[in-house]
Amino acid sequence: MSELTLLVLQLGFLLLLWVFVFAIVYALRSDLFGQRVRKLQPEAAGATPPSGSAFPASKPPVAAAAGAAGAASAGASASEAPSKLVITSGQKAGTEFPLGRDEITIGRSSDSAIIIRDDYTSTHHARMMLWSGRWMIQDLDSTNGTFLDGVRVTAPVPIPLGATIKVGATTFELRR
Amino acid sequence: MSDAATGRVTATQPPTATPPDGIRRIRMPQRLRNLEFWLLLVACVINAGAIVLVQLGALGHIDTQLVLLGAGLSVLVFALHIVMRFVARDADPFLLPIATVLNGLGIAEIYRIDIAFGDSGWESASVRQIAWSGIAIIAAIATILLIRNHRVLFRYTYLSGLVAIVLLLLPLVPGLGEEINGARVWISIGSFASFQPGEIAKIALAVFFAGYLVRNRDSLSMVGTKFLGMRFPRARDLGPLLIVWALSMAVIVFQRDLGTALLYFGLFLVMLYVATSRLSWVVLGLSLFLAGALIASQTLDYVHARFQNWLEPFSDGRYDADPGGSYQLVQGLFGLANGGLIGTGLGRGSPDITPVPQSDYIIASLGEELGLAGLFAIFALYVLLVARGFRIGFAGQDDFGKLLGVGLAFVVALQVFIVVGGVTRVIPLTGLTTPFLAAGGSSLVANWIIVALLLRLSDTVRNHPRLVIDG
Repeated sequence: MSELTLLVLQLGFLLLLWVFVFAIVYALRSDLFGQRVRKLQPEAAGATPPSGSAFPASKPPVAAAAGAAGAASAGASASEAPSKLVITSGQKAGTEFPLGRDEITIGRSSDSAIIIRDDYTSTHHARMMLWSGRWMIQDLDSTNGTFLDGVRVTAPVPIPLGATIKVGATTFELRR
Repeated sequence: MSDAATGRVTATQPPTATPPDGIRRIRMPQRLRNLEFWLLLVACVINAGAIVLVQLGALGHIDTQLVLLGAGLSVLVFALHIVMRFVARDADPFLLPIATVLNGLGIAEIYRIDIAFGDSGWESASVRQIAWSGIAIIAAIATILLIRNHRVLFRYTYLSGLVAIVLLLLPLVPGLGEEINGARVWISIGSFASFQPGEIAKIALAVFFAGYLVRNRDSLSMVGTKFLGMRFPRARDLGPLLIVWALSMAVIVFQRDLGTALLYFGLFLVMLYVATSRLSWVVLGLSLFLAGALIASQTLDYVHARFQNWLEPFSDGRYDADPGGSYQLVQGLFGLANGGLIGTGLGRGSPDITPVPQSDYIIASLGEELGLAGLFAIFALYVLLVARGFRIGFAGQDDFGKLLGVGLAFVVALQVFIVVGGVTRVIPLTGLTTPFLAAGGSSLVANWIIVALLLRLSDTVRNHPRLVIDG
């Protein structure tokens, strides 16, 4: 085996190592550089399951199931606690989201629980957490702010039932 | 906070029924696992290529025996991949290929040093390393299969704290513990297997710290007096910090192991900082540790020698000092210099001049033969591995999972920093294993279990109901 062949093989090996590194970086580029902002695109809306208007405000089986799950975990205070989050305006008006006991993150990033992809939402916009039996909302230093009944949220505040929360162009409220 | 967290165990079992309309999980399990498959394929090609290059460079011909042993490992890695297709379909696709490449590069370099030493068969470190890798990957498969939800670990917070302490104390038990190169961190079972229980202890400690901090962080973060623009904790809340500090000082004094002490204490500090987001803890902790290390360097001979080697390794007195001189450190630096930008080529350098080139000094050996370009590729792989771990931690929906993910990822990062910093003379040299690369069974098992836990965490994190609103 000549020196030259070995040198070429050696360079090839280093190249392969770096190709591997950059293959990984390329595959996770959206994580590194943030989610791309999506403009209003009809085909993007078409790709998601039937949107907004197709939903009646209530979906009995789902709501019941979510309520039962919430009651089972929340224990005694379940009757007072909200069991679902309902989108009241925007693309998905009428959609319900079951509340468990886990924190709910809101933002444009794909690891949020509620992903809102519009121009007004920050990557990690806000979060809601259950704090001694009450749902609280906290703004995560978002650019355009989170509003509870029209007031900008600065410190974590409890969310009353039926109060309107506005994130970007979307509003939602908690219901029992 | 505590009862909420335990209650979650039942509340957040992934919904089995189809999610309600409009609420969809962003699940592309097939896509993720296929991506992992292709990356794994490249990883196995890199590993086989490394072994073949070592043989071409050092022996001049290809010996199929070790290539076949390496192929056996690839089979195991793909077994882990297939297991994940069934039980952790949403897990992160990058962790497994990265760990595989690091492990394989380590095996190739250890094999290269075996050739230089003339070791072969069961006596050689590389064959034992392959055997340990097999055990470690099987341990990772077992972890993924047994722990279906990371919150189970939350229940065993205090038990794992106890396990960590027992593991740390084991090497001090007479008859069981064994002193190698001055450090008393090994236990030996018979004459064959020696084991470093401290490596496993770091996982148990991460679980314990995460569980403990989730339960108690309110008192650690809310109250305190403001001083110099930072809110300092009350004196009575300093207990945990002082206990962990005393523990790591005990490791320095009784086990004579500086690196492990730094690792445990750094892990606790970072998790405390992440849990409370208070800089004062870091300031307090770092000054405590620096004070302890300074006192140790004045009073303990071996620590003093380490500091001297770090400050003036090229002086004749330090270089020639027999126990605890800077000979090894300087040879490692010469090796790195010999490697230059693109290295001497696998199998064509002389890493065997440095003492223990296959464990503590694997980074210098790899740096000599792969050069700066290769070493930086390895560091980039570590960065990606740790960044994925942090990412998994940040995306977690429960506090325990968040802390655990960050803690496990950080322990890998800190260990790499301590070892590489020591070899390259950024900090005083301390004996720790380089994760995945260095020869050593306990370290391999521990790091593969960390990968398995991170995989499990990432699967749980993604497996949540999500609502997507496209504006």
